[in-house]
Amino acid sequence: MEEVDEVVEENAEFLEESDEDGGVTAQSVLQDIENAWLNEKFAPEILPHQSDAVECMLQQISHMEDNMKSLGKGSMKSLIHQMEINRIRFIISSYLRCRLEKIEQYAMHILTEEAQRGREDGYLSSDELRFAKDYLSSIELLFRTLALQHMPNVLQKFEIETMTVKPNIHAHVFLRANKRITGIIVPGTVDEEVDFEEGSQHIVQYSAVADLVKNGDIQLI
Amino acid sequence: MSLCSSYKPNYFSIDDILATEERLSCKVLQKVPRLGFMDHSSESKDLKPGTKLELSFWLAYSMNKSKDPIASIDIPKYYKESYREILNADACAIELSKWNTYFYEFGLHVAKFDHPDCEKLPELLLKTFKSRFRLVMDWAQNQDTNPMIASQLPMLERTIFLSGRKSKEQLVYWFKIGGGGIKTTELIANHKKRKRSTFIENER
Amino acid sequence: MFGRRGVELVKELDQSLDSIPPFNEELITEILEEMQRLYNENRIDVNTRPDDHETYLSIKVRHAVLKRDKRCILAYLYNRLRRIRQMRWEFGSILPPEITVSLSKPEVQWFDSYSKCLATYMKSIGDNHGLNLTSDLAPPKSLFIEVKCIADYGKFEFGDGESVQLKKNTYHLLPRSECEQLVRQDGCVLLSPRSLTVNCKRHCERKDQETKRESLSACRSL
Repeated sequence: MEEVDEVVEENAEFLEESDEDGGVTAQSVLQDIENAWLNEKFAPEILPHQSDAVECMLQQISHMEDNMKSLGKGSMKSLIHQMEINRIRFIISSYLRCRLEKIEQYAMHILTEEAQRGREDGYLSSDELRFAKDYLSSIELLFRTLALQHMPNVLQKFEIETMTVKPNIHAHVFLRANKRITGIIVPGTVDEEVDFEEGSQHIVQYSAVADLVKNGDIQLI
Repeated sequence: MSLCSSYKPNYFSIDDILATEERLSCKVLQKVPRLGFMDHSSESKDLKPGTKLELSFWLAYSMNKSKDPIASIDIPKYYKESYREILNADACAIELSKWNTYFYEFGLHVAKFDHPDCEKLPELLLKTFKSRFRLVMDWAQNQDTNPMIASQLPMLERTIFLSGRKSKEQLVYWFKIGGGGIKTTELIANHKKRKRSTFIENER
Repeated sequence: MFGRRGVELVKELDQSLDSIPPFNEELITEILEEMQRLYNENRIDVNTRPDDHETYLSIKVRHAVLKRDKRCILAYLYNRLRRIRQMRWEFGSILPPEITVSLSKPEVQWFDSYSKCLATYMKSIGDNHGLNLTSDLAPPKSLFIEVKCIADYGKFEFGDGESVQLKKNTYHLLPRSECEQLVRQDGCVLLSPRSLTVNCKRHCERKDQETKRESLSACRSL
């Protein structure tokens, strides 16, 4: 029992260590990633990336793995640390996988939107952007090879407007308000204006709350 | 990990291509030279005005939707007034897939025509869906429901039913096992089954 | 014909939801030939009767068919690609020959190019820290899992250099993260999912009685 308590305490201390900038702890970064993961799972469109948090967390995992080497293989502490690492790694993988799926599904749409945002405001990390471009050109190449080049000239075009697959931003989502929000317009046959109390939960069309999800006022659940 | 799966057809969507293949009755209004073969019952080289044809939605739409239509359309009977009465009476009692497997999706497309019966069509589809949804949900949540019942449902409801059923199964499994099990993926399990049956076939 | 063959291509995919049917080159060629024929007829009409209103109607109808044919072919290719993509995530970077035989050469090349794309991305995650996204597919509940081998696999090496011989009908206790792929791809079969308790029990057999009891109760509360 003592040993387990020790490990849990060590872990907690480790995660609570701030970095040099003094504001951010590993625990809060992990929480940010968890929130981002849930939002990404339930939002129909792709959300702004959290690469800094991901990078930070992966480095933490490396530190933890290094620390574990000194504990000796098979000790109770190392088992629990390993569990923690596996769980963190799962969350990060799941988050990035979800983003990749969206990038693949909505490649054309996402690239068009990204082109309109500045590099600083982009929703995709630079690696994701490269992946999206490579993925799209591989599809275009296959279309060209197997079909388009054999079609009459007039139809050989890869028509961006008709062929773009767009996410359904009117899909409904479950959410929890992180603070009191007023003046949300719920579209319908008659547009209604509603307020959300802090901590309240609702189902509403994503389009009505998209910006609030992106700025952290709302958490999708 | 599945993404948001609400129905939103796109250019590549298989369901949408099949839904737009559904047919309507049309009447040719103008002569269309050299396309007489579209009317199987006639030997004529040209398509004559007055000819009645059953055309798929995608073709009917391009022939009708313009200031100077080539053909007029007649919307399917199950979207009309008389059938509307039947749906209003008890939508749940109808085997909608017998009317049309793509009842809702096709209906949404048909609603785009400038036809008097089309005005009330979106409302009809919504009302029908609302009255039947509870039934579909109950079937999906009840584990004793025969899964073959899905074939009685039109495609949109069938997708909802199957996905509801799958999540119920996953929930029950999670309660029993507590999650964390690794299973062979469905894709690979089916692949192996197929291999086995091909092997058995070849041995005969 | 007249635009009806395209739908047959699409129906092939609709009827085989959990697999990929052999690439139907014949049907695609047929549809492409129809497209060429229709286009030629349109071109002739445009050149010989440019101002005839009725001819314009024929051109319009043929064009609608051309667009439909194009949509069906592209949808067929696109949906096949999505399934091939799914196979990268389930089968790994090498496809079994029973699957590749159903694919056209450009599709096999697409699979390789997608694998490469994916690998480049995975290596770059976290400022080149790298992360294998094709593992950790389910939330981990235990560190080790008991598995039974259902086929002769041979030597399996762990990340730390140790290895184990996986022979048919043998039982092993393996680290979950290392053998997740094996179980998913059907080399082994998961035997006991609640194995943290099992593992703790075995692990603690090495320690003295008191520590063993305390550790066991800690495991149950985890």
